[in-house]
Amino acid sequence: MNTAETDQKIKEAFSHAVPDVLNLVLSDCKTQKGSDMKMKDMGKKSLRIRQLAGIAAAFVLLIGGTAGFRFYQANYKVASTVSLDVNPSIEILVNKKERVIEVNARNQDAQAVIGDMDFQGSSLDVTLNALIGSMLRNGYLNEIANSILISVDNQDPVKSAELQTRLADEINNLLQSNSFNGAVLSQSISTDAHLKDLADSYGITLGKAQLIQQIITQNAFYSFEDLVPLSINELNLLSESGNLNLNNVNSLGTASDKAYIGEEKAWDIALTHAGAAKSDLTKQKIELDYEDGLMIYELEFKCLGFEYDYEIDAVSGLILKQEKDQDDDYIPPNPDTNPAAGSSQPSNETSAPDTNAGQTEQPPAQTQDPVQTEQPPANTQQPGVGGWHHNEHNGHHGNLHHSASYCNCISESSARGIAFTHACISEGSVYDYEWELDEDDGVWIYEMEFKCDGYEYEYEIDAATGTILKNEKDYDD
Amino acid sequence: MGFSLISSDDWKPEQHAADLDGLLAGIAKGDSQSLAALYHSTSAAIYAFALSVLKNAQDAEDVLHDCYLNIYSAASGYRSLGKPMAWILTITRNLCLLKLRERGKRSDLPTEDWEPYLESRETVTPEDRILLRACMNHLSDEERQILVLHAVAGFKHREIAELTGLSLTAVLSKYSRGLKKLKQYMEQEGTL
Repeated sequence: MNTAETDQKIKEAFSHAVPDVLNLVLSDCKTQKGSDMKMKDMGKKSLRIRQLAGIAAAFVLLIGGTAGFRFYQANYKVASTVSLDVNPSIEILVNKKERVIEVNARNQDAQAVIGDMDFQGSSLDVTLNALIGSMLRNGYLNEIANSILISVDNQDPVKSAELQTRLADEINNLLQSNSFNGAVLSQSISTDAHLKDLADSYGITLGKAQLIQQIITQNAFYSFEDLVPLSINELNLLSESGNLNLNNVNSLGTASDKAYIGEEKAWDIALTHAGAAKSDLTKQKIELDYEDGLMIYELEFKCLGFEYDYEIDAVSGLILKQEKDQDDDYIPPNPDTNPAAGSSQPSNETSAPDTNAGQTEQPPAQTQDPVQTEQPPANTQQPGVGGWHHNEHNGHHGNLHHSASYCNCISESSARGIAFTHACISEGSVYDYEWELDEDDGVWIYEMEFKCDGYEYEYEIDAATGTILKNEKDYDD
Repeated sequence: MGFSLISSDDWKPEQHAADLDGLLAGIAKGDSQSLAALYHSTSAAIYAFALSVLKNAQDAEDVLHDCYLNIYSAASGYRSLGKPMAWILTITRNLCLLKLRERGKRSDLPTEDWEPYLESRETVTPEDRILLRACMNHLSDEERQILVLHAVAGFKHREIAELTGLSLTAVLSKYSRGLKKLKQYMEQEGTL
């Protein structure tokens, strides 16, 4: 039995074992739709569970209704909880008259902000004013981290929304009067037991927990745990860059990206590396993302028969990953009917000013050569045509050396040379080449995969020393 | 591209992804037929992955159910990155992690419970049973998850690495080790 057959058998066995829950799913979704209530909003029903210490969370969830809570709520002296997150996370408990009952620091930074100020009995406005002032003075709000999250938790959603809007405006005015260009996110909290658990276990406010959960719901590639260490500014940037449509979160101002190289610079780095001209791109996308503890720009673009993916460290500009594949949808321009094909050549040259060799090798040249234009660039029976080596001379060397210097790394081309030499193969016969520069416990490693002559190879090369840490060679199934 | 060991011609991940994207767009508009169609083409992968993580039939069934509810409510926010299965299985993974967290510790669970359940499923053939037993009992958690993601969800090794957070090298070596173990077991059982 070969691998494909085994795969097929595994697939069949598990397919046969799947229980049929479709009808249940459909009816549950219908209920959800009928009540115009999304899953995450179910939490609203179990509002304030967190304050009912001693009652098992599961039991409370079963109650579902609000009747039980109102009884407790009427007798509960905390009317609203307002939490303030920047990186310092502060929770302010106030009574019905918006007088402060308690101010809690949820992290060390918050302790520094609060200092020895005593807010008990003060009005909410005065308290917020003092806290924001302290954050500005202590540098927690600054040019490169300018976002504040304000979260209001009140049993009455109308009251919550009203307070949320009012406080957001007040803080915004306060920042402006301090000539500070800030971004204010505000939301009303819909507490559920699960959110409370998450907030407690990670030591963050409910407000931040809810914001993170909203982001995860919109982008399942993130996990809760991943996003916890991020500041509100970083979360705000992720949601802005990903165009995430966060329910119930109002946003004033724009998150600062001054800590990062910026989207424009990221494009420069990627296009220079790929030897591509912006004018030749047929599809382009950039997004700020968070992966493995790093803020990164993810870029995707198509250019003259190839699809590119880049990941660029948003702080250093270091290229962490690149992939280049055939663009199967690509239809090369016909020089007879499309005069634009000829005019794109000059712009291509300007994209790689330090290039004086290898132009004939690049894919663009292939499509503009009248002899070859009849053939789509996807015809890669010739090994190596889809491979990376075409970009060898496209002027990315200088840039890569520059960016690699952030970690004192050898360049990708040197690492590639080490791998190819070790594998005793010539660069021209390599295809499906992919590499990634990855950090693992402080060690930077080039991870490379490529195919050659019916084999697939994998190498891991220490980016500081060039030592081969791992190599594998397998039949390419 | 990629390092998929599947060379079968009938498996066209791009087409599959486009189909799923279409269904998700339908679901975002509240179309229950799209949801049913999505269920039919993805439930095996979701369930297999959940079972391979949780090793408990009831929990895996819960995750299967919750996953579609999550998909239903989140579909409007889904942005096609050409990787609908990665999105769906990330939701699955997160639900599994929540389950595990709920349970407290992995060691608390009754690991054997899936077997009587599978016995009771008429659609499971005796050969399936041997194979499932091999997967569940003779592979490490990671090997099982990787094999399942590859075989049932049609993931490439690179995509598995992305989902599981393992390095590609680790995925490849665990994949081949798992496959070898599985074949050995099946040979012993005389099913090969």
